[in-house]
Amino acid sequence: MFERFTGEARHVVVEAQEEARTRIADEIRTEHLLAALYAVPDTAAPANPALTVLDRFGVQKADVLHDVDRLHAGSQQALDAEALSTIGIDLDEVRRQVEEAFGPGALDRTRAALGGKAGRLFGHIPFEGSAKKALELALREAIRLGHDHIGTEHILLGLIHTEGGAAHHVLAARGVRLEAARAVVEELAGGRKAG
Amino acid sequence: MSDATKVAAAASSRDPAVGLAAVAALRGLLESLEELQVSNARAQGWSWQQIADVLRVSRQAVHKKYRRYGF
Repeated sequence: MFERFTGEARHVVVEAQEEARTRIADEIRTEHLLAALYAVPDTAAPANPALTVLDRFGVQKADVLHDVDRLHAGSQQALDAEALSTIGIDLDEVRRQVEEAFGPGALDRTRAALGGKAGRLFGHIPFEGSAKKALELALREAIRLGHDHIGTEHILLGLIHTEGGAAHHVLAARGVRLEAARAVVEELAGGRKAG
Repeated sequence: MSDATKVAAAASSRDPAVGLAAVAALRGLLESLEELQVSNARAQGWSWQQIADVLRVSRQAVHKKYRRYGF
C-alpha cells in the first residue's frame, strides 16, 4: 500500500510515530496521525495539501494540537494519578519534586514510565486498529477520487472517514465533514491539473 | 461532594477495583523512581554494591535489573 504514498504522506506516517512517542502513548492512534499532518512542512505548495484543506475549514494548527493534548486527560497517567490519590499520594506533587531535582519530564521519561522493560524511547510503536483503518481508507479515498497517488489530503480524508477514531471527533467538532472535505480535495486536484 | 471528601471516601473504600488500581499505580511510580535514582547513583560513581545496600536488595538483583540500560 505504501508504495503509492507521496513523500509527504510517508513523512506523516513517520511523524505519527514521533507524536505517539512524545505523548507517551503505546500505540499510534488517529489523533497522532492528525497531529503529524502539521509536523510536515508545506513548502513548495501544495506539498502538504491536507493543511490547505484544513485551512479552508478554518481549522488551525494550535487548535488541533490543543484538542489532541486534551484527549490525554483519560490516559493511563491520569488514571494513575487518580488511583494514587485514593491512598493519599499526590502524583503531581511527586512529579514536581522529582523534576526540581532531575529536570522537566524526568519522572515520565524513565523506561519504566514509558512502558515496557525495553522501553519505547527508540523502539517501534505499533499502529492501533483505527489508525490502520484510516490509512486503508486514505487509499480508498484516493481511488474514489481517481487519484493515482496517496497524499496527505487523502490521509486527512481517511481520518475524517474513520468514525471510531479520535481524529474524526476532533475534526467533526470543528466542523470538518467528509463530503465537504472531499469536495475541497477534488477542487485542489483540479486546480493543480489546470495550473 | 468536595474533592477531598471524594478522596477520603475512596481511600476508605473496600472496593477491590479501587484498591488494586492504587497498588498498580504505586508500583509504576516505584519503578520510575527506582530507575531514576539508580541511574543518578551510577552517574555519580556509586558501585552496584553501594546502591544495593541502600535499596536493601542484593547486588545481583539490582545489577541484573539495570545493567542492560547501560547505567
